[in-house]
Amino acid sequence: MKTSIKLGLLSVISVSAFSMIACGTTAPPSELVDARAAYSRAAAGPAAQLDPADLHTAKESLDAAERQFADESDSQGTKDTSYIALRRSELAESRARVITADKQKAEIAAQAQANQAQALQTTSAQLAGAKQALSTQGQALQDEQQRRIDAEKRAAQAAADLAKIASVKQEARGMVITLSGAVLFETAKWTLIGTAQTKLNDVADALTKQDKDSSMVVEGYTDSQGALAMNNELSQKRADSVRTYLVSRGIASDRITAKGMGPASPIADNASPEGRANNRRVEIIVNPSGGRSNTGSTNSK
Amino acid sequence: MISDRIVYRSLFGAVAGAAVAFAVGCGSSYPAPTQPLADAEAADRSAQELGANNVPAAQLHLKLAQEQTTNARKLMKDGENKRAEAMLLRAKADAELALSLAKEQKAKGEVGQAAEKSNLQNQVIQGAGK
Repeated sequence: MKTSIKLGLLSVISVSAFSMIACGTTAPPSELVDARAAYSRAAAGPAAQLDPADLHTAKESLDAAERQFADESDSQGTKDTSYIALRRSELAESRARVITADKQKAEIAAQAQANQAQALQTTSAQLAGAKQALSTQGQALQDEQQRRIDAEKRAAQAAADLAKIASVKQEARGMVITLSGAVLFETAKWTLIGTAQTKLNDVADALTKQDKDSSMVVEGYTDSQGALAMNNELSQKRADSVRTYLVSRGIASDRITAKGMGPASPIADNASPEGRANNRRVEIIVNPSGGRSNTGSTNSK
Repeated sequence: MISDRIVYRSLFGAVAGAAVAFAVGCGSSYPAPTQPLADAEAADRSAQELGANNVPAAQLHLKLAQEQTTNARKLMKDGENKRAEAMLLRAKADAELALSLAKEQKAKGEVGQAAEKSNLQNQVIQGAGK
């Protein structure tokens, strides 16, 4: 009786020891090894961010396989559960890749749309710019036309005004305004007399109405009596006086120059007192075509 | 006498209960996995519809799924319902993976197309800008 109990006890111990050894040494089935590796890979990949729900399912599936392995060792059930866990991890990875691709597609589409909008905007801006330029050009042309009409009017007005106060002639060298020396100066002097200023005021007013681009030359002349050098000097001083006065009345100084001509280019006979009086004169030559003749537009109208 | 009858009755009950428990545990009366079969087949169809047959990686898993389903049908015929159910769950997992792999291929193709289209558009825009 005692021996049989002993034997029974021994067999129980040995069986349990065997089973313990068996449990401890049973290698996990390849399905479980694969499932573990697949889950580690998936968890470290983009699925963690992009598809946590499927990754969680994979984790639960793997946990179930681990539990089954602990309970049943490498049973067929453990292998099946592990196999499914492996596929769940692979599925999570694949779905994360689908999400990535869909995102890329959306980004490209958004970028393309933005590019298109940008191009449209650029084109619109270019069109608006071209329109603006065209309009500006048109306006400039109109302004130029208006300026020309105004200038012509002013020139005509100025000529008409001048004709009232002095002899005005159109010559090849320009419009020539001739003022008698007797009206402006005392004999042998070059300071303007009082009445001369009134007359020159009118001339200055008429000249300021002229085209702003025109240039003027004030030429002083004497008769042939007396020394040439003295006449030259006198005529220069008289021309300067007139020029200075006209500048003081608003003619831009760079538009007007003065020249003493002495007894040159007489317009009347120096033999008679009348002729000499006519020769003593100041001429203002206005060259209105100076600035505008280049365009050729004056003649075309 | 009365106490003896009670003892017999309870003995009979215990035996009957054990028999029922044995029958269930044995597997011969494990219910046929009709729902898992339907699920596996539905997953298989979805994968095929998305062109899993044209994507090598997807095709592999589709084939595995189909083999396992065929296997499960045989097991069901032999009355191995529990084993068949496990096989069908594996089949479904493979079919679902095949579906996702097919989707993946499709989505990647669309990314390529979108990029190509965008490039072409940019060329047109740049050409127009010149």
